[in-house]
Amino acid sequence: MLQGQVEIHFTHPDDFREWVRENKKREAVEKLMTEREAVARLVADGDYIAYDFSSLTRGPQAMVREIIRQRRYGLWVCAEFTLHETALLVAAGCCSRIDVGFLGYGNYIGRAVAEGKVKVFEWTNGALASRMLAGARGIPFMPMRNLLGTDGVKYSGAKVVSDPFTGEPVCLVPALNPDVFLVHVHQADVYGNARIFGTNLFALEAAMAAKKVIVSAEEIIDPLEFRKEPAKTTIPYFLVSAVVHLPFGAYPGGVPGRYELDLEHIDKLNAIQTGEEMQGYLQEYIYGVQDHMEFLEKRVGWEKLQELIRKASIREGYH
Amino acid sequence: MGTVAEFTDTEFMICSAARILEDKKTVFVGWGMPQVVAILAEKLYTPNLVQIFEFGALGPQSLTPFVRGTMGGPSNVFRSLQWTNMNWAFSYAVTGHIDYGMIGALQVDQYGNINSTLLGGNYARPKRRFPGSGGGNEVASLCWKTLIILKHEPRRFVLEVDFLTSPGYLDGPGAREKAGLPRGTGPYRVVTSKALFGFDEETKQMKLVGVLKGLKPEQVIQGMGFTPLVAEKLVELEPPTADEIRMLREEIDPSGIIIRGEKMRVPR
Repeated sequence: MLQGQVEIHFTHPDDFREWVRENKKREAVEKLMTEREAVARLVADGDYIAYDFSSLTRGPQAMVREIIRQRRYGLWVCAEFTLHETALLVAAGCCSRIDVGFLGYGNYIGRAVAEGKVKVFEWTNGALASRMLAGARGIPFMPMRNLLGTDGVKYSGAKVVSDPFTGEPVCLVPALNPDVFLVHVHQADVYGNARIFGTNLFALEAAMAAKKVIVSAEEIIDPLEFRKEPAKTTIPYFLVSAVVHLPFGAYPGGVPGRYELDLEHIDKLNAIQTGEEMQGYLQEYIYGVQDHMEFLEKRVGWEKLQELIRKASIREGYH
Repeated sequence: MGTVAEFTDTEFMICSAARILEDKKTVFVGWGMPQVVAILAEKLYTPNLVQIFEFGALGPQSLTPFVRGTMGGPSNVFRSLQWTNMNWAFSYAVTGHIDYGMIGALQVDQYGNINSTLLGGNYARPKRRFPGSGGGNEVASLCWKTLIILKHEPRRFVLEVDFLTSPGYLDGPGAREKAGLPRGTGPYRVVTSKALFGFDEETKQMKLVGVLKGLKPEQVIQGMGFTPLVAEKLVELEPPTADEIRMLREEIDPSGIIIRGEKMRVPR
């Protein structure tokens, strides 16, 4: 009935299955590596990347900074709930296409879109989550009861068709199988078993739907811990391609139960208006340090980190 | 319950929205100001209100002060009934479990259609680009009654939105159902910093139902891009009470990040 004429990132479910059969190891092997190795091995120019959760809460900020440091090019980003990282990726010339979601915030990214520096496609948070669910279910699309009647249909890759059961219009969104899924977690073991405490966007769906999954973790724990309390496992190891130990990996965002977000630093990001200011930020905080540890030591400082730990006084529910 | 001599337009809008919510109901809460509305309502009027957030928190008893920027932070999701994820959060709405949805808007038209995507130009090269739907489209599509909250600036009330991000009544009666949206849903109230609008049951057009005490309906309607219907009996909307203001300024938003705005005075 209705459909937009736009590009979509789509993989045939059988192609994805075969990719999984050939590339995802069922054997539990150690996957611990540095962020530099993980990006060098697993993130290619032109890849489609997705992440969980947001810039302010448990987002894979340190991994995003490493992608920028290694100057990946032509990435297509699933901007579900993303704020600063998409602006940073665009400013650094890493990202050329964005599936929106929520494209926040500050003026920098808005202007980049208006000036045509980056191409956007207009989904919604729920539509992207449904796409991820379809990707995780191994089906080509997911029907939805929203996006209907809006301009989103025209500017996304959704289609409105007649539902064969009710005969009424229903919105179909294509499965999403990202090339790379970045997820920052509370705990992981060296094989890739991972635990998130608190809410998430689509951690398990995306880990199942993505070709390459990079887990960055606040803490590396004994594999036996997962078997002692299996209900706490968010992602099982064989979905995972790499494990990176990155304490404070969500900074300047927070990790619930561990440390609070750094509002001062976030204000600094929000205040960026010009290309020059942005390049200054990239230089100081990303290009100017060699890795996450140096970033923490030289640009954030132990005193600040201790303050953020102290502020995270709510622990219940996060263990 | 006394009133205060001075308040901001934002404070009034938050209080006005908080008074509309009903106790023992469920509400889907958007980012930013709606979060503050829900917390105020829970503290003062609707202790058994169940909030739900798109990132998967159901029924939190959010701690104050409100941490600006937070969505899913620990004080935001404190003592929830359930922590889940986005697909399940929206499932609650699409299966009819969520009574109210509460979202902001850049522009709104006479049928309550919402733009939160762009202003001017075209889609590929807008004059100004904004964050887009987020989960707003889901909230406006799937909850039973949608509350739209926006500052009362005439330029935000337009004949046609620059981009239709989230559906109101589309082009009139029956249009939502015809488009495939869930039956019996749609915008319920538009809460602004000066007035309160509903929608005509027959025509689905926006209708002025209340005006902030001391203002005349003409002052409110002036400059709007369309002429709203006007209810036969207009409700006089009380300015913020002393309790509401104390709660907002001292407990919920002491840094004034959300509640700041244009200063207003209680009319005599």
